[in-house]
Parts: sequence; C-alpha cells; structure tokens
Amino acid sequence: MSAPTIRDRLYEAPGPRTRRRVALFTVLALIGLGFLLFIIIRQFARQGQLEARYWDFFLKWSTWRYLGQGLLSTLKAALTAAVIAIALGFILMRGKLRQNPVPRWIATAVIEFTRGVPTLLLIYFFFLVLPRMGLNLGAFWRITLPCAISASGIIAEAFRAGVNAVPKGQAEAALSLGLSNTRTFYQVVFPQALRFVIPSLISELVIVLKDTTFAYVVSYADLMQHAKVLITSHDALVSVYLVVAVIYILINYALNRMSDRIAQGNRRPTVQRQGGAA
Amino acid sequence: MSLSALLSEYGDLYLRALLNTWRLTALCFAGAFAIGVAITVLRVCPVKPLRVFGDFFVQVFRNIPGAALLILLVYALPRLRVLLSYEMCVIVASVLIPSAFCSEHLMSGMNTISPGEIEAARALGLTFTQLIGRIVIPQALRSTVLPMTSLVVGTMLTTALGSQVPLRPNQLELTGAVNYINSRAVGGILAFAISAALYVATALVIGWVGGRIDRKVRILR
Repeated sequence: MSAPTIRDRLYEAPGPRTRRRVALFTVLALIGLGFLLFIIIRQFARQGQLEARYWDFFLKWSTWRYLGQGLLSTLKAALTAAVIAIALGFILMRGKLRQNPVPRWIATAVIEFTRGVPTLLLIYFFFLVLPRMGLNLGAFWRITLPCAISASGIIAEAFRAGVNAVPKGQAEAALSLGLSNTRTFYQVVFPQALRFVIPSLISELVIVLKDTTFAYVVSYADLMQHAKVLITSHDALVSVYLVVAVIYILINYALNRMSDRIAQGNRRPTVQRQGGAA
Repeated sequence: MSLSALLSEYGDLYLRALLNTWRLTALCFAGAFAIGVAITVLRVCPVKPLRVFGDFFVQVFRNIPGAALLILLVYALPRLRVLLSYEMCVIVASVLIPSAFCSEHLMSGMNTISPGEIEAARALGLTFTQLIGRIVIPQALRSTVLPMTSLVVGTMLTTALGSQVPLRPNQLELTGAVNYINSRAVGGILAFAISAALYVATALVIGWVGGRIDRKVRILR
C-alpha cells in the first residue's frame, strides 16, 4: 500500500479541462455499472430469486452453524494438505539442489509432473485406481493427498527461489568457517530463505483450499457438501451457492492480503552489506 | 488392460481428448488474455468507478474455486434464465479465472516500467490511451512472458473442469476421457498415465516455447 505503484505514476494532478472530462466519464461509468447491477438484480427478481424464502434461513443461527461445520472440514483438509505439500516440497527442493544428478533428475521429473497434471486427474486416480489396488483410504485422505501432491511441485519451486534469493556470500562465509554442507543449509541459508518463502506458502494455501472444493468427487463432507444439503432442505439453490462462493472468495482474499502484507515487510533485506551493493 | 489393448480400443478417444484439451486451452487463454488486458486498462484508468470495478472483478475470479464457479454457471444460471451449454460453462469458467490472474501479472509487469518513461511520454503530449497502448501495455507484456507461460499451463489445468459436466464423447478432454474409459473398462493406472503424460508433455512444450519467447522479447534493464 505504501510503495508507489504504477497507478500513482500514470497521471499527475489534472488541469481543469481534464478534470471535467474525468468527471464526465466517472458519471458515465457510474451509470453504466449501475445499469449492469440493475439488470442483474432485475433478472433475480423476475425469476423470483429474491423471494424471502430463498434468503430468510440465512438469518437463522443453525444455518451458519451448519455451514461453519462444513467450512471447518474444508479448512482441516486444506491445512493437512498444505502441511503434507510443504513437507513434500521441501524434500523435492533438497533433491533438486543436489550436486548428484540422480536425485536432481528425479526431483525435476516429479516437480514437472505435479505442475503439469490437473488436481482432478490425481483425485480420480486416488478415487478410482488405488481402491482397486487394495489401498482403501478414507474420504479425507482421498481428497487431501491428491491436493497435497498437486501443490508440492510449486512449493518446491518456491522454496528453491527462496534459497536462491539468499546472497551467495552467506553460504560461502558459513562454509569457510568450517560448517558442513548440511549445517550451512539448515542453520544459515534456509532460515533466511524461509522469510522469502512464507508469502508464497500462504498463496499456496489458497490454491490447496480451492482444490479441496473437488471433495464432492470423493464424498468428503466439506463446505460444498454441506451447501448441497442446505439446498435440498430449503429448496434454494441460487442463494446458497452464491453465499458459499462468497465465503470462499472472502477467505482466499484474506489469505492473499496476508501474503501481500508479509511480502511487503520482506522488501527490506535481512542482511545488508556495509557499503557497496550486496 | 495392456498398453496396446488400451491404445487400440481408446487411441482415437485419447487423440480427440488431447486435441480438445489443446483447443480449449488455446481458446480459453485467448479469451482470458483479451479480458485480462481490458480489465487491466480499467484498473489503471483515471475513472475511479471503473478502477473499483476492475479490482472487484479480479478479486472475485482470482479467489473463487473453479468448482464453485462451474457449479454456479451450470446450476444457478439456468434458474436466472441464462442457459449455457455444458461446454460453454467450462469455457466461461476457464476464461474468467485465468483472466484475473492475467491482469495481476500485467499489473506487476507495469510496475517494472521506469517512471521516467511515463513522464517522457506525458511530456511528449501522449494521451492516456496512447500512453497505455504504446508505452505501458507493450512493456508490461514483454516483461511478463514467463508468468503468462505458467498461466497457459494453468489454463490447461483449469480446462480439466470439463470432466465435471456431462459432455459428449467427442467433446471429452483428457481428464474426462480417463473417467469415460474407467467407467466402461478397467483402465487402471495405465489409463491415467497416458493422460498424465500427454498433459505433462504439453506443459513442457508450452514452457519451452515460453522460455524461447521470453529470451527474445525480455527487456534487459
């Protein structure tokens, strides 16, 4: 928010003529957008979607408690998936940064695989193929594991970018002090890298959270499933799905904002070299 | 089922599914790109209501889960007397979501342009339209080739939503094709592996082409 963005640079204080033109366009835009809103609301009204029976149950506490339970399951699945994805991503990143070509090659292949395959395909794999092979996971793991695997590759790349963002001199200094490769990585490089990585890990949580909406495929009772139950019990499809979509949007928006905030705090470099460029 | 049996029986289906995934990806990315550019112009224009609308649009489609958007398009729109075909619903979802990300990439691309260029353009008397069309957007595009490349792959992954609606066999994309095969025969791991390999190969080609374009057009500062 504080850093000047392109928006601030594109125009300076306008003169009287420009001000009039901007004012004119502002009025026109308001009319246009208002008209758009009007058409949407009119369409809702004409199809009877604004009737009280479609909306009044949102005033009841039990409705929100029920949606809240679904949301809790969604968050549980998303957080579990995120933790597994971070662990996998870390292992993949370690593999990719090895000198030895074999683990490096394997890690690269896995990363490219997870980044190129849709989560849905992985979900169907866990849902359709694994049970036939005798591996019977519960609904929770059938949604959590594919989401985790799908996100692990991107997380590995985020970790790698973070490690690469730590100035080389840090590792060189640690090594020249006699620290082993492992200690250099875990005590010097990685803690600094983590700071850069945290914003992208939070954005990753957004992706995982979105992917868990496919939970209906494996019949895991997440927010969407609870919404479906509400829809059948109140016979109100449009309002319930709209409200649920807004809930998802607000949560993800909040997460993204948090990630941006932290990223902004990170602009200031951790370690500054005295004099001269780092 | 062995590989040869699978391919002899379903080879055509896979080929058509691959072509459908490519077609959907190209079509949706083109749409997303056009909308993304337009929304970005709205987000930086001097007219405040349009800026707010642009930001709102981006936040909505950047944060809505694909499944939620698809469900709204497929089930909620018909109740508002807006009827789209199943394929159209998939296309609309796979256009709107990437378009928000496209705009976000363009916004961060714009931030790499040095203020001096914009001041120079204004000093030369360029109007807002000229400034955006000739100075800002071209440079923003040139510095965002790599994120846009990931966005093409992301669009491809979004088109897997096609497996969530009942499409005709000749409209199936790669994920839907695997489901189709699995519902009629035991395709097993192999059926999935073929689709996955085709996805990954496509993603690698897209990444490679994107890298080439990036090296050609990137502005070295």
